Amino acid sequence: MVDTVPVTGVPRESARRARQRSVGRRLRRAATPLLWIGPAIALVGVVVLWPVYEMFRTSFQRFSPNGFFLGSAGWRNFTDLFAEADLRDILVRTVLWVVVVVGITMLISLALAQLFNERFPGRRVARWALIAPWAASVVMTSLIFRWALDPNSGVINVLLHDVGLLKSYGSSQADWLGRPNAAFVWMMVVAIFVSLPFSTYALLAGLQTIPVELYEAARVDGASTWRAYRSITLPLLRPSFLVAALINVINVFNSFPIIWEMTRGGPGHETSTTTVFMFQLKQAYIGESAAMSVLNFALVIIVVLVFLKATRWREQVS
Amino acid sequence: MKRGLMAAVTLSAAVALSVSACGSSNKSSGGGGGTTTLKVVAADYGTGPANSSQKYWQGIVDAFHAQNPNITVNVQTINWNDFDNQVKTMVQNKQYPDVLEGDYFPDYAQAGLLYPANEVLSPSTFSNLLPVFAKLNTYNGTQYGMPFTTSARTLFYNKKLFQQAGITSAPQTWSDIQNDAAKIKSLGKMGFGLPLGSEEAQAEALLWFLGNGGLYQDDSGKWVINSTQNVETMQFLSGLVKSGVTEPNPGTKNRTDLWKQFAQGEVGMINGSPALIPIIQDGGKLKAEDWVSVPIPGKAGPLDKTLGVCDNTSVFKTDTSKKATITKFLDFVYQDKYQLQFDKEYALLPATNSGVRALSSDPTFGPFLKALPNSVQYPNAPVWSQVKTQIQQTIATALTQDPKKVLDAIQQTAEKGS
Repeated sequence: MVDTVPVTGVPRESARRARQRSVGRRLRRAATPLLWIGPAIALVGVVVLWPVYEMFRTSFQRFSPNGFFLGSAGWRNFTDLFAEADLRDILVRTVLWVVVVVGITMLISLALAQLFNERFPGRRVARWALIAPWAASVVMTSLIFRWALDPNSGVINVLLHDVGLLKSYGSSQADWLGRPNAAFVWMMVVAIFVSLPFSTYALLAGLQTIPVELYEAARVDGASTWRAYRSITLPLLRPSFLVAALINVINVFNSFPIIWEMTRGGPGHETSTTTVFMFQLKQAYIGESAAMSVLNFALVIIVVLVFLKATRWREQVS
Repeated sequence: MKRGLMAAVTLSAAVALSVSACGSSNKSSGGGGGTTTLKVVAADYGTGPANSSQKYWQGIVDAFHAQNPNITVNVQTINWNDFDNQVKTMVQNKQYPDVLEGDYFPDYAQAGLLYPANEVLSPSTFSNLLPVFAKLNTYNGTQYGMPFTTSARTLFYNKKLFQQAGITSAPQTWSDIQNDAAKIKSLGKMGFGLPLGSEEAQAEALLWFLGNGGLYQDDSGKWVINSTQNVETMQFLSGLVKSGVTEPNPGTKNRTDLWKQFAQGEVGMINGSPALIPIIQDGGKLKAEDWVSVPIPGKAGPLDKTLGVCDNTSVFKTDTSKKATITKFLDFVYQDKYQLQFDKEYALLPATNSGVRALSSDPTFGPFLKALPNSVQYPNAPVWSQVKTQIQQTIATALTQDPKKVLDAIQQTAEKGS
């Protein structure tokens, strides 16, 4: 554009310099945000993108059980994985695990958040106490529950025995973690226990953003408490409810330490979810374990997308 | 500004973490004029902090360091429950220890990760190793694993409970076990302790297979895991469990826990090794005359061979300049003094000829030592480490599902090879 304007040498020179200066300035201006977000991008690259890339790569490679690379595996890791006789049950169990744990957690959290939003003596202490299951290491919590469920001397069994619900120690009935179904239910209980604090706090924060005036207006209009809860609290709580539920879905799906510490996924794979199964495979079949990882990754993404779609996330949260 | 700073700090922390996670591979200054550092990873045979193997090794290492001030040895012990898992992860990530004591993995020899035993032991130490375990530790004609401690299995039973139940003789056959266990069960105790959980299922299962003439691998090297005998054995065990005379759900119960219950006098019979003896003594419930150990009953009569197990030392090819140092250290470790100290501490058996001679007249160890040369051992094929993992994980499901199918699946893994 400049070339079309007939100008003499000197102004032309200065125009060029000005242009250069402005380009430099523009570049610098464009680069400034990069400087701020650069570390974050690098972090995401190093701890998220690169591992994902490695995971996909590994799932198409063959390894000896000692970790030696033996060449490409094509789709064999995936065909081996889908040929695993236990895979179907494990997938069904995983879905059950996520739906039940997140569902019950969210229901109880709604009630707890409501309770903690009311004024009562000792509320501050109670709110602090709620953090405990969250602050404690999950491994520790799981171990405590494992010991509490010991068939001979676990405190839960002692209690059940004392109130007459348990006939004898050491029996199959007392062996909660030995029976796959009972073990799975107990592990769900632990998973709910450790998920409660986060969702309760997320909902509590949501409750505190609801203006008091709305309730006053509802009262003036003669609405019952239940009606006010349904028409004011629940709709306005929706964004925080959805965020809490989504984060829970991801956490619970990936949950490993509870099952590992309480049953190691056994007997066989009868209490494994896909995350635990992935680890069990890794002992001897690294490539297949990576294929399981890829499947897990795909599942999480699908679950999240379905969740976002079903809840019309965009309208609600952003 | 603040947020950028935070991100930078987070990033550098993350990088530091990942670097330290990858960087613990053990690159120490090998040989030269400076100091040499060896890394020893060993299984922990103790039942708690008081008798942790860390203490045993630290004693050796300190004495060794006093004699060789320019050699430092770092020891890490791992409890048995996590041992296989952690060692496998270490090896998969190429973080090899110099010396590993515990399970020996034949596939590591196959992968060329290990030094042959005679290259890292002086000739006198090498020839002192018990010859009976040489085959187990040999791959392709070369011995890689060096027996460190050995053990043999027998049946322990609680004489007090037997008396109370009116049983006068030791069990000799499977039907004896079934009947005696039922009588003990009626006293409100556990008749038979059957640890088929992941800790040692491969040993417990083999002890039962032997009783019916079964094995994992026959003498010609053919895998016979899903043989008719073994299927029958699992059917018998399934019936035993269903009759309620064992603990419930044996697939989730580990040996360590059941041994403790035996020591508390809650269990009538259990397969054990000398290592059960100190647990009984520590328990303080059973006096020496309250229990006895006898040959393991088979289907028709007691086994004439027992399962001989040995834990091994193996040396990884980490840094060739360390080889001489490792030889020096292992020669030091394999002294009778330390062999016997280990055996006394954990009631295990020695792995050296001179150690066996020193203990052969011992009233507790003597009978076990006599059984040792005639013992059956685990397969030594490289694929055994995968097979073993699968047995530990799944064999107990044969109690509740079709045993043939479960054993077939394991057999398939074995035949596929590594």
